Amino acid sequence: MGGALSATTIGVFLDSCNSPSTKTKGNLFADDQLKLITEVADIIIPTTSSPGAKAAGVGPFIALMVKDCYPEDAQNAFVKGLEDLEKQSKDQFQKSFLEISPEQRTQLISKLREETIAATKAEQETIDKQKEADAAKVTGFASILPKDKPKTEPRFFSIIRDLTLLGYFTSEIGATKAKAFVEIPGRYDGCVDLKPGQKVWA
Amino acid sequence: MSNLNTKATANNTYDAIVVGSGISGGWAAKELTEKGLKVLLLERGRNIEHIKDYTTATKKPWEFEHRGRITEAQKETHPVQKRDYPYSEFNESYWVNDHDCPYTEIKRFDWYRGFHVGGKSLMWGRQSYRFSDLNFEDNLKDGHGVDWPIRYKDLAPWYDYVEKFAGISGQVEGWPALPDGHFLPPMEMNCVEKDVKKRIEDKWKKSRIMTIGRTANLTVPHGGRGSCQYRDLCSRGCPFGAYFSTQSSTLPAAVATGNLTLRPFSLVNTIIYDKETQKAKGVVVIDSETKETIEYFAKIVFVNGSTLGSTFLLLNSTSAEFPNGLGNGSGQLGHNLMDHHFRCGASGRAEGFDDKYTYGRRANGIYIPRYRNMGNDKRDYVRGFGYQGGASRGNWHADVAEMAFGAEFKDQMTTPGAWSMGLGGFGESLPYFENRVYIDKSKQDKWGQPVLAIDCEFKDNEQKMRVDMMNDAAEMLEASGIKDVKTYDNGSAPGMAIHEMGTARMGHDPKTSVLNKWNQMHEVKNVFVTDGSCMTSAACQNPSLTYMALTARACDFAVSELKKGNI
Repeated sequence: MGGALSATTIGVFLDSCNSPSTKTKGNLFADDQLKLITEVADIIIPTTSSPGAKAAGVGPFIALMVKDCYPEDAQNAFVKGLEDLEKQSKDQFQKSFLEISPEQRTQLISKLREETIAATKAEQETIDKQKEADAAKVTGFASILPKDKPKTEPRFFSIIRDLTLLGYFTSEIGATKAKAFVEIPGRYDGCVDLKPGQKVWA
Repeated sequence: MSNLNTKATANNTYDAIVVGSGISGGWAAKELTEKGLKVLLLERGRNIEHIKDYTTATKKPWEFEHRGRITEAQKETHPVQKRDYPYSEFNESYWVNDHDCPYTEIKRFDWYRGFHVGGKSLMWGRQSYRFSDLNFEDNLKDGHGVDWPIRYKDLAPWYDYVEKFAGISGQVEGWPALPDGHFLPPMEMNCVEKDVKKRIEDKWKKSRIMTIGRTANLTVPHGGRGSCQYRDLCSRGCPFGAYFSTQSSTLPAAVATGNLTLRPFSLVNTIIYDKETQKAKGVVVIDSETKETIEYFAKIVFVNGSTLGSTFLLLNSTSAEFPNGLGNGSGQLGHNLMDHHFRCGASGRAEGFDDKYTYGRRANGIYIPRYRNMGNDKRDYVRGFGYQGGASRGNWHADVAEMAFGAEFKDQMTTPGAWSMGLGGFGESLPYFENRVYIDKSKQDKWGQPVLAIDCEFKDNEQKMRVDMMNDAAEMLEASGIKDVKTYDNGSAPGMAIHEMGTARMGHDPKTSVLNKWNQMHEVKNVFVTDGSCMTSAACQNPSLTYMALTARACDFAVSELKKGNI
């Protein structure tokens, strides 16, 4: 498997996510990280008129997805992001992220969001410049093959946000309570009046 | 490999052998069994039983461990299948493990395959359009490829025949370049699509039209099958039998005759040529589970193993008489490979419908048939393209901030957003002789066979066409009042449209084509090839309906020839 992990912190952490209830010696730290993931997801999609990400079980889903569906560099970036977030919390509030208030959590995540937007934007500008330079080099027949996606840096906040949205809106709670889920519509109506309070179809 | 004994020969003899159980093979099995022939239908992969084996068909989104995504381990074993969206957790088991069946890409070619009963008829896009004389005459008129040996009048009754059985929903339009069919009621356009249709047809005075997609989904119960339930989960297999597949349609009909023997796990390795009779006398099968070799015999052989699967089989069937592949005296076998080029068009935002929404998930869009290089229109390229597309209401509110999160964001994510409308072109590619496949003996597949090398590329004509595919889409959307129209060209690799065709083409002349006008090999009269490999040109329409019609027509001819003692 391409994303196989060596026996480091990440290995312990990821293994523990398969069985979060296992409380064997040495993986307390991992349990804390799973809790951290869960709490970050719940800041991204909190409880409102419908339950939030935590209630929908998004934490364990994210841990599973990072383990199964991401290459090693993204897994490493993810773990480092968790560690950095915890460190920031301790630096700023002298407490673990798990112990600070929702407002303080939101403050840290907002900062992380801004940094991620800035870094992504800078990276995109570099990619665009490269694209322009490449396009200028082409004369005559240009291949119509799809271009390889430019390699981008995996970023903790982007990954955890993407996975929170995916996990939440495809969860039973997200699909049926935050959105409107009809398993077997039975017909198609191409033009119906939008009713007040109508949720997006899941 | 030959290990004949007479008892086995008697047990292993049928009237007809059909190689492959996908869209065209299923039709061949149905037609031949219904005409009274004892038929052996050979499928290289496992069996998938209708409904029972559609293991994901009724799963809810949250019942998929990875919610549709594929894992790093699956990317590792499916390096080709993973290149585009069809390969997902939702129907993961329908796609081949690329390591089992490698091929050599001289140039990039995305080869999507499914080895199981039903083949790609389980996962196909279901869009079903007739070819017209515009398409059948193009090769003759502009000199690319060879002339089609048939015209629309030859195929029209067979289109009727297959449409009546398969169940194609669509709207009659009276548009000669896209002949009407025998349709079930059309699916409905949504309010934005209706508005765009009216504006396009007004502006271009019906020299361009927009119609609802003609699709092999039942809009009313048909032939004992249930109608579409608008779940939009077709590619997992339909528990209502509401779209055409081998399993839902042709296989039950063939089984009902009592004349069918279906043998899964039967990889046909070669067709056996008998120089005395100058005909094929049977096939060599590798049991794909046990790797045991078995021979089967028949009076006629229908080759329906998918375009490149069939072409490999023919190229691999060498003899003293046919050292370069069965029936390949022309040297055309393996050449003239085509696919549609696409992933290019425009989209934008529709205003004025914020009080409207849709109900149900329609697994269908709209279609704008080809209008370029018709009548007095002359472009700097030949042939043309059609558009598939549609309008939909966004799944989230329009002004979500970048990387937003929190309570307000969650509300925005569950509030219907802006309407958008998109058009994506599907362009014809030309039959270039140098776009070809051939056997590469430097590698072996899991079953010890050599592999195909694929050397195919799109060229200047396709590239020029794509400029129109983008700009015309934008022009039509803007003329329809769509705002913020953006064009795109995401690039297109041969194979991606999964409409590969042309490598055993039909033609008048045995010197320049492999098959005659009845899909019969010029040189081996009891072998018929009726999958995509028979296509003399690609047109720009989705091709499967044409394979169905050609197959039914060829079966009718084959049985009549058999009865006359001609084959």
